[in-house]
Amino acid sequence: MMNKETEKLLFNPIRLKAISFLISVEKCNFKTLIDVTDSTKGNLSIQLKKLNEAGLIDIKKYFHKSYPRTDYSITKKGKKSFEEFFKELKLLK
Amino acid sequence: MNKEEQLRIINNAINQTKQNLKPLGYNLVFWSIVVISMSLFHYFFPQIVQFSYYSAAIYWISIPLLGMIYTTNYNIKNGIKVGYETQLDRVIKIIWGVFGFAWIFIVAISLIYKVSPVQDVLFLLSIVLIMTGLIIKFNNVTIGGIGLLIFTAYSYYNPLMNLLLVNVVGLSLGMLVPGLSLYFQKNDE
Repeated sequence: MMNKETEKLLFNPIRLKAISFLISVEKCNFKTLIDVTDSTKGNLSIQLKKLNEAGLIDIKKYFHKSYPRTDYSITKKGKKSFEEFFKELKLLK
Repeated sequence: MNKEEQLRIINNAINQTKQNLKPLGYNLVFWSIVVISMSLFHYFFPQIVQFSYYSAAIYWISIPLLGMIYTTNYNIKNGIKVGYETQLDRVIKIIWGVFGFAWIFIVAISLIYKVSPVQDVLFLLSIVLIMTGLIIKFNNVTIGGIGLLIFTAYSYYNPLMNLLLVNVVGLSLGMLVPGLSLYFQKNDE
């Protein structure tokens, strides 16, 4: 049975788009997530922070040639939660 | 948001990942051209490359190391431009990274024991090409790797073969042609 907290988190379309994209890749940057989720920088930052606080995604900040960069990836917990969420969605359909 | 809508969002987000194999094709073409050019230069101008005891070793180590720095930089830049890395990209990166380390190891051992590293490097390269071709499901790379493996095995039984020409023929058929076909193939979008 899926965690209610996860279900609530993934009810938001931006968070759902972000985590669905992250499950299909190893890692991605912020710009790609803006394109995928079709949202604004500020809103996306807030939603990603919530996913990170719930332990569903990892955020890695680093510098490349003096430019700050951020990579996002899904965690083991995130994968498991997403799979459970997807399974339940398909059962309910 | 109902269940159908959620499933549609998941489906659309997953479908936005595109596997682009063009950079891998570029890497194969780049390395085959570098090594073929170096082999031909060494073959036609041995008096320049072998002017001293260690000059050939310096020639065959320094240029590939510069090539490694260039391709690593190209792959990092390309990764930033694409914006994401797929699981397949990671697997390919690890395999070729291991090949790079193994190449350094083979060259170091061959320097210590004063033997040619060509056949060992070609053998390892053919295995890595076959693995890459099978993983990315691209037959030209797999066939190129098998061809290179057969050619390398043949060269072991013919010690009189010029190893520089073995390099040129082996890499042209095993790496350059498959690399070009990978580079110019249509992307699966």
